[in-house]
Amino acid sequence: MIKSRSRLALALYALMAVLCIPFLFPTWWMITSSFKPVSEIFAFPPTLLPRQFVTDAYGRVFELQPFARQYFNSLYIAVAVTTGTLAFSSLAGYAFARIRFPGANLLFMLVLTGLLIPSEVTIVPLFQMFLDVGAVNTHWPLILVPMLGAPSALQTFIMRQFFSGLPHELEDAARIDGLGRFAIYHRIALPLAKPALAAVGIFTFLYSWNLYLEPIVFLSSPDKFTLPQALTQFVDAYGGPMWNIQLAAASLTAIPVLVVFVIAQKQFIEGLAYTGLKG
Amino acid sequence: MAQDHPLPSISPDVRRSWWTPARRDHFIGYLFILPQITGLVVFVLVPLALMAWYSLNEWNVLAGTFSFVGLGNYEKLATDPALPGVLWASACFSVGLVLFNLSLALLLAVLLNQKLAGTVVFRTIFFSPVVVSLVAWAIVWRFLLQQDGGINAVLRMLSIDGPNWLRGPNTAMVSVIVVQVVKNVGLNMVLFLAALQNVPQELYEAARVDGASRWTQFFRITVPLISPTVLLTSIITVAGSLQVFAQIAVLTEGGPGTSTTVLVYYLYQQAFQFHFFGYGASLAMLLLLIVGALTYLQWSLRKAWVYDND
Amino acid sequence: MKRTITTTLCLTALLALAPTAFMTPAQAADGLSLRMAVWTGNAKHLALLNGIADAYKAKHPEIGTITFDTIPYDNYTTTLTTQIAGGNAPDLAWILESAAPDFVGSGALLALDDTLSSTAGYDFADLSPSATALWRQDGKLFAYPFSTSPYAIFANLDIIAAAGQKSPADLIAAGSWNWQTVATEAAAVHAKSGKNGVEIRDFDYKDWTLLTTVWDGWAARPWSADGKTCTLDSSDMADAMAFLHKAIFKDGAIPGPGTSGDFFAGDTAFSITQISRASLLKDGAFKWDLVPLPAGPKGSYSVIGQAGIGVFKNGKHPQDAAAFLAFLSSPENSLKLAQFFPPPRLSQLNAETLGKTNPLLSKSQLEEVVVKGITTGKVSPSHTNNAQIAQQIRASLDAAWTPDADLPAVLSGACAKIGPLLAH
Repeated sequence: MIKSRSRLALALYALMAVLCIPFLFPTWWMITSSFKPVSEIFAFPPTLLPRQFVTDAYGRVFELQPFARQYFNSLYIAVAVTTGTLAFSSLAGYAFARIRFPGANLLFMLVLTGLLIPSEVTIVPLFQMFLDVGAVNTHWPLILVPMLGAPSALQTFIMRQFFSGLPHELEDAARIDGLGRFAIYHRIALPLAKPALAAVGIFTFLYSWNLYLEPIVFLSSPDKFTLPQALTQFVDAYGGPMWNIQLAAASLTAIPVLVVFVIAQKQFIEGLAYTGLKG
Repeated sequence: MAQDHPLPSISPDVRRSWWTPARRDHFIGYLFILPQITGLVVFVLVPLALMAWYSLNEWNVLAGTFSFVGLGNYEKLATDPALPGVLWASACFSVGLVLFNLSLALLLAVLLNQKLAGTVVFRTIFFSPVVVSLVAWAIVWRFLLQQDGGINAVLRMLSIDGPNWLRGPNTAMVSVIVVQVVKNVGLNMVLFLAALQNVPQELYEAARVDGASRWTQFFRITVPLISPTVLLTSIITVAGSLQVFAQIAVLTEGGPGTSTTVLVYYLYQQAFQFHFFGYGASLAMLLLLIVGALTYLQWSLRKAWVYDND
Repeated sequence: MKRTITTTLCLTALLALAPTAFMTPAQAADGLSLRMAVWTGNAKHLALLNGIADAYKAKHPEIGTITFDTIPYDNYTTTLTTQIAGGNAPDLAWILESAAPDFVGSGALLALDDTLSSTAGYDFADLSPSATALWRQDGKLFAYPFSTSPYAIFANLDIIAAAGQKSPADLIAAGSWNWQTVATEAAAVHAKSGKNGVEIRDFDYKDWTLLTTVWDGWAARPWSADGKTCTLDSSDMADAMAFLHKAIFKDGAIPGPGTSGDFFAGDTAFSITQISRASLLKDGAFKWDLVPLPAGPKGSYSVIGQAGIGVFKNGKHPQDAAAFLAFLSSPENSLKLAQFFPPPRLSQLNAETLGKTNPLLSKSQLEEVVVKGITTGKVSPSHTNNAQIAQQIRASLDAAWTPDADLPAVLSGACAKIGPLLAH
């Protein structure tokens, strides 16, 4: 019995280890290659560790671009989008789940529509609109559209699904205690919604952090660029990419988020499971 | 609520007759959704209306010509010889992506949900591609998928002669799907894992007492109980699959031939590369119709297959 | 309740007002501002451009700012188009060679002849006619070809010698520098050393316009000179493609689709690319030479790659932008730009001038390859509605890049696809 259990465990480990390869190798390659000289990066067969360990690419990242500034831009935009989305999506999600008002279904269809819009589809009208109010080459389009436009619809959808799954009894009790709608939302529903808020927060942060098309279209001065856009700017005199520097910059953008995930994942996943994110 | 904020005392009869508690609740409901709905109207409905208008015009952006052509672009759409192939590629891509993504996410979640030491490490590894820059990700994979790239080198060790992945119509499609799934499956995996941890253990114990096999337990207990999460992830994944663009641009540019030219990529080509903006707008309307229909279908079928104890 | 209302109303008001109230106004610098879209993010390029802009501003107080907006190369034309569609055309922009007919033919650009020829000291007649041909329509010049770079062959002499083959210089001296010998040598190198023979750099079995560097040896072009008829199914093209196909799949002279290898990393005997890539050569990594493209069955030929600068009519200050372009491309500044971008000026197209800024190349290399290339070279074919036609050809040619491809069928199929587009 014990033997068969441990044999099963061994098989599971082996399976997971094999499955890891496609997930791990590209990231591994990206990080290790940033420490290789250019000539070694595309050497065949690829080397698992740099034969010649060099770190000057990391210094060059900061020399060639206002990279610290761009890092700050990405960070503050992502934080602003995440904070705003958490507030507005939880409000809207709560109302769609709990308050019965005329037209709710129709308005929820609008949310579902938002869920379906690829950003390529509306980029030109959005650009025209932001140009009209003088907001091109500012960070406003990158904050407002993800926070309230099509990308936020998914977050409202998740919040609605979550609040729908909460037992009614809690709220009924609060209502008998004389709490108003906002107080119920604020003091009862939101604390229970921590796991869903965690999911929404992570989705939103990653969405904003990785946004690529919009910054390219809306921003034009390097000190306003965001990180994914900055990655494409490390090019040599003929427009060819400077691989080691690009990869160093890409590693710098990925590693902190990864570290935060490692630290926070226990709370995140177990939090999600705590009351269960209902579909 | 009434205790905190007593109603104004003037003409209480009139107020009561119109400003009923129900009306007041409606009002609060509207206030709650106001920011989100305002945003969706301004950043989704208005742009869509503009796109609908553009689809009735021929707009050559470079030449600066803009002229009303009525349904001309839709006639072109109906007779475009390339469109059936594009729709077929989109269907293959979406079906393949959704099936592979959801089943891999579920498999990984089930593996991680076993009580084994060290699953945190694996969990991190499976999630890590989510945070890697899309461009870096696609470039590494293009390198790995080459004729003499890393994947074929491994196959050669097993004495298999690997195909030229990105140059064969079928293998290119499979490659694009796999690269996309591996990049993003971590998100669905995390949602499934949370759902799995939420299934009460007593149910499994009861089933074991009844002598149910592991498979029976999985399909009779696990799957029904996580079905709400399956619905959520499938809606997200279906909608996402129809929006995939950057990976195709980096890996195959829609080729070989037009085998991986999906609808969004075709739209992008027409509007931005070929400068047929009006035609691109009509393709956008078509895309919207397809995604809307699919989501409506999933949403209205949910009662039939999603287990709900409410 | 009151708090609910107040909170939501405040948040909504904030959102409604945000775009106007919090927007920092565009810098209120004195004088007008010019904006030029470029695809380089290279610090040295931008420093050079900004230096020229500063010198211009010093002379012209009416100009407040001149900014160079970097748009990534991969999305360049798309992003530029989006900006134009949104009503935010830059004043000036770099224009890709492939997009030249669309931009020149669209009427979006300002004709430059009057401004350039009336600028003191400009010497408009100095611009090489072959360099400006692509950017003209109805006798007017619509963009300045700031970079005109010939295609040539870089040769790795170490690899060639190790495989016991003759050097390009010997072949040229013997009068046998032609595609047949190059292909034979390349195949021999590949067979003996496993290194790659001839690479068509950046072609990657996608950007077929680079095949012009071979096709022209057979006088094979995808469409007729007037742009109306497809000639992919001509016998010249059939011969050229048969040569390429045999070299790729039978002889192994050209690395096949999806094969890695990089001349500048020392993996390859010959590389067809633009001379500007000489900067990628590392000191002493291997012995190399730079030689003109070999002759084809239809004689010798040269091919150039270009990029232009245009002024948008719909920009905010087209006349000021044109005046700045005249300064940017003056003889003096053209010389400065020459360290990165080979100039179109006949007076500067000589080995002495070019040698100062291209120290890696010898005088004879400059003379034979660069000067001759620029003065006699033809650009790759391009056409109005180029992107769509190029895409159709790429999709059709994909079927040619397999060992058992039916070339005549592929080529006539390609003509069936693009014929209607050309005639349009």
